[in-house]
Amino acid sequence: MFERFTKDAREVVQGAVEQAERARSSSVDAEHVLLALLDREGSRASFALASLGLSGERKQSVRDAVAAARRRAGLSQAETDALAGLGIDVSEIVARVEEVHGIGAMSGDRKDKGWWSGRRTFSRDAKGILERSLRTAVARGDRHIGDEHLLLALTAGPGVPAETLAAHGVTHESLLRVLYGGGEAKAG
Amino acid sequence: MTEATDLAERAGDRDPRVGLRAVAALRRLLEQLEAVQVRSARNQGWSWQEIAAELGVSRQAVHKKYGRH
Repeated sequence: MFERFTKDAREVVQGAVEQAERARSSSVDAEHVLLALLDREGSRASFALASLGLSGERKQSVRDAVAAARRRAGLSQAETDALAGLGIDVSEIVARVEEVHGIGAMSGDRKDKGWWSGRRTFSRDAKGILERSLRTAVARGDRHIGDEHLLLALTAGPGVPAETLAAHGVTHESLLRVLYGGGEAKAG
Repeated sequence: MTEATDLAERAGDRDPRVGLRAVAALRRLLEQLEAVQVRSARNQGWSWQEIAAELGVSRQAVHKKYGRH
């Protein structure tokens, strides 16, 4: 599958691994793919994001929102609301755990150095993003998988990346519009 | 009061999506909580056997999940 990835898309995947390493996360998650995409410049995805107003401070706002979600066990707002419906206050749980185990204890990231020297695996969510990007490209008749397909895949499902991007005006539909025009055939 | 009303409404919500989403979210929360507690126990010198006994799972299961190798 990777032989069909463009240079930009490969760099996003590599960037996601680096994001996970920097955070000392045990796995590469969909959030790391998003953070890697935000770092791109001059790619199709970065142009699409910029034309939807996501650049500079707005990008930082997305990074902050992702970090906040990771701190609450990687739960999206929709999931947090669903738990509130059961009478479970996620922020209360996170606060109590952090009181004993330190800030970010529920993020799945580790602060102690060198605990994980092995190869990081892609989480189920992150694998799903890669597979969906392939399907998106195939469905559109695009021969290669670019970083815009990764971005489209991120916004297609539930979860923290899609929710955070949507809160910043970047939805699957708005991306399709700026990438391919209003429901027209592929842009090439 | 509004909170109580809200909760009552949600509890009566028959949309399976809401209930299923809550279960999936609870599982994620549980996974992170378990990881925090296992790490803490290891840092305090607990053996895999002791941790497994408290969690009610086999030593192999907990070691496979959290052991480095």
